[in-house]
Amino acid sequence: MSLNILVVDDSSVMRAMIIKTLRLSQLPLGEVLEAPNGQEALKVLDGKWIDLALVDINMPVMDGEEMINRLRQNPVTEDLPVIIISTEGSETRKEVLMQKGAGFIHKPFTPETLRDTILKTLGGLDE
Amino acid sequence: MSKKLEMGLYKAATLTFEELGFLLPTQEIDEQQLNAQFEAAVSVNFEGPFSGKLLVRVCGGLLPIIATNMLGEADVPNKSLQYDALGEIANVICGNMLPEIAGSDHIFHVSAPEIVDDIDLPPVAEVQVGLGIGRADLLLFVSNYPALMEE
Repeated sequence: MSLNILVVDDSSVMRAMIIKTLRLSQLPLGEVLEAPNGQEALKVLDGKWIDLALVDINMPVMDGEEMINRLRQNPVTEDLPVIIISTEGSETRKEVLMQKGAGFIHKPFTPETLRDTILKTLGGLDE
Repeated sequence: MSKKLEMGLYKAATLTFEELGFLLPTQEIDEQQLNAQFEAAVSVNFEGPFSGKLLVRVCGGLLPIIATNMLGEADVPNKSLQYDALGEIANVICGNMLPEIAGSDHIFHVSAPEIVDDIDLPPVAEVQVGLGIGRADLLLFVSNYPALMEE
């Protein structure tokens, strides 16, 4: 099984860092796609099968929380695994996002944290 | 200046430069770092129980170094990516500082980073971080921060 992953962050440098970390993670990667905000990410999801979305919260146009709300309202994407990668420090807001079924990685993060959280979110992978 | 704000800001800044920018902060600021030339500044706004702005100013050749380190490339990234990298540093410092100074129960909305020249206001907290032969200055501007009233 290879994973198609969508990376959503308004910083192109952060997207590049996440993608580089994914490529070094030894996870079975398929396509890695990227989008600069939630709205563009939904367009990508409209035309591609994605196994996992890595999503920032604070983004212009459409933020990560609104994006997750839209995903959960769509029968095609309601079960899509999502991991938030953010500087969010509010436990209140994290709790709300986790109730929507999202995992959470705090920035800055280590490659090990990214890999372990992906494995935990996807319930382990046959490697 | 508020000690609590400065401590929260310094802690968030050193963590971010170390773990995201792969730059080890020096224990003290030496003469060369102190006299380093201004290169660039970005700011991020935040809104929540109190609102404000964090300005991050880099001096002494740090702008291309931060982007090069973050991207892990041999070649120096273009100016747009250099500012993008500095903006992300400011964003992460701000996100890590807010729970330090406000507690982790409150929700803040942090805006996208903006390139700025400088801000002509007195900051409520200011810290300097020595990084290699350069220096980062962090200036925090807030309004209605409850602890400030007590100091």
